[in-house]
Amino acid sequence: MELTSPGAATLRRDPDQATGGGGTGDAETADVALAASGDGSAFERLYRTHVARVHSLARRMINPDVADDVTQDVFVRAWTKLGTFRGEAAFGTWLHRLAINVILARRTTLGTERGRYYDAENALDALPGRPMVHDLSLDFQQAIGRLPDGAREVFVLHDVEGYKHEEIADMLGIVPGTSKSQLHHARMALRKHLE
Amino acid sequence: MSDTWTDRLSEYIDGTLAKTERGALEAHLADCEACRTTLDELRRVVARARALDDRPPASDLWPAIAEQIGVSSGAHRVVSLAAHRTRRRVTFTVPQLAAAAALLLLLGSGGAYLALHRPPAGAIAQRGDLTVSPVGWVEKTSSRYDAAVAELQSALEQGRASGRLDSATVRVLTQSLVTIDSAIVQARRALAADPGSAYLNQHLADTMRRKLELLRRASALAPART
Repeated sequence: MELTSPGAATLRRDPDQATGGGGTGDAETADVALAASGDGSAFERLYRTHVARVHSLARRMINPDVADDVTQDVFVRAWTKLGTFRGEAAFGTWLHRLAINVILARRTTLGTERGRYYDAENALDALPGRPMVHDLSLDFQQAIGRLPDGAREVFVLHDVEGYKHEEIADMLGIVPGTSKSQLHHARMALRKHLE
Repeated sequence: MSDTWTDRLSEYIDGTLAKTERGALEAHLADCEACRTTLDELRRVVARARALDDRPPASDLWPAIAEQIGVSSGAHRVVSLAAHRTRRRVTFTVPQLAAAAALLLLLGSGGAYLALHRPPAGAIAQRGDLTVSPVGWVEKTSSRYDAAVAELQSALEQGRASGRLDSATVRVLTQSLVTIDSAIVQARRALAADPGSAYLNQHLADTMRRKLELLRRASALAPART
């Protein structure tokens, strides 16, 4: 799968600007250069900076049970592909897109293609009724995990990660209209689990 | 409750409705409490999604990753950087190698100067095919190194101006040099804040040497490819 750079400017949550999770400009550029030449310590610093974002993406996009394994795979692939990183986009953006490619490939491997599209109006009805009051966000994330695969992927990529419908359609092999439709269904389902 | 406009509310939120449709929907919202309620809920969903925190994995994944990529994850990994470096073969494109080789020829003495001005033998510890620099060596050699870099950049300009290096090759080489130099600048900044740090001295020396290593590799390999 070819690794292309996303429209970095379209990301609402640019990985290099995210609070507490982004790189630090020159320092990260230096670490990327060092890591590309084989410096394991520099690569570990890059890992420490970006692991939360990659792991959260995997957890939301595919399955919490395999998030650790997918995250490891992402960083191993990043290490082997660092030589192809030319700096057109920020390293975090490049890594994020690599992670999406790995996740989408893993999704196919896991056989999660079935039920991809939103075909049940009440897909989230099996969720517990009221959330635990001390951790509303966890319940919301559980609700995201219960969405049909296609709707979940579109929701995460659009509303959490900030990609545009055209970019999502290209990643998932669908048309933008399907992406819009899946997003709306996902939002409609999730509004029941706001609190 | 649902009506013909309910399915357009997400597009309204995202600003992707056509102007005429947006106007019609806003007129509808003024009279439809159900749609206003749904719109408010959808906006809250979007806001919640944007506010989700990224959480690290429950356990540290680095040791497993380090094992897979063949680097140490132990506490002493810093002092074995050179050993790690040799485990992963550094590869360069043919244009990079050709450009670097051509620049070496133009330079004459730029890279060789550094190679000939290593620290005193007694202060050197050998690590594989690389030389470990003691603290202080960086300070002593940085001015000479800067001069060599300046000469290299001058030669690059000459090569570009004379047409001996095509623009694509120059672009690739320039980008590589900028990347490596960025690492050097960063290391120097850190060292300025903590001049006595043995690690930072080592780090900077390693980075400078990495650039020299690129030139050496290019010198050895490029003639056979050009």
